[in-house]
Amino acid sequence: MDITPNNLIYHELIGLFAEVIASTNPSLVGIKGKVVDETRNMLVIEDKKIPKACSTFMFSLPNNRVKVDGMLLVSRPEDRMKRRL
Amino acid sequence: MARQRIERLFELAGQEFDGHPDRSNRYVQLARQIGMRHNVRIPKELKRRMCRHCHSYLVPGSNAQVRLRGMYVVVTCLICERQMRYPY
Repeated sequence: MDITPNNLIYHELIGLFAEVIASTNPSLVGIKGKVVDETRNMLVIEDKKIPKACSTFMFSLPNNRVKVDGMLLVSRPEDRMKRRL
Repeated sequence: MARQRIERLFELAGQEFDGHPDRSNRYVQLARQIGMRHNVRIPKELKRRMCRHCHSYLVPGSNAQVRLRGMYVVVTCLICERQMRYPY
């Protein structure tokens, strides 16, 4: 089973290509690149740390692109798999 | 899914090792945390790519020394300089 739009929020985000398409901090909008690291509240995109809670991300998968509200991603990477919405 | 994420992280650790060895070690750390949280073992073949003691990503010839010693393969981590022995 690969990464699909349905299981993206439970799957590994590191290594995917991401873009910030909305944020409460306007200077973060438009940052794009490979996701390099992940913490509970931050997503590191090419040296830039983006808070998850106040942003909306667009992830590029091999076949399609997925828009994800960052609020859904707020939890530690290893805990994210268990969470239910 | 935990298993997939562990495999994916090790794959990425291998790719990032040339430019950013610190990221490789971070990915190994994340893979271990996923394994521990969800009670999934790190597969045998991937376990050999990390240091049992300091959990850094090992690449033979770069930061690991592999020697045959009698009944064992001895892998020395050149970061913490401790050894792992694998029977063969």
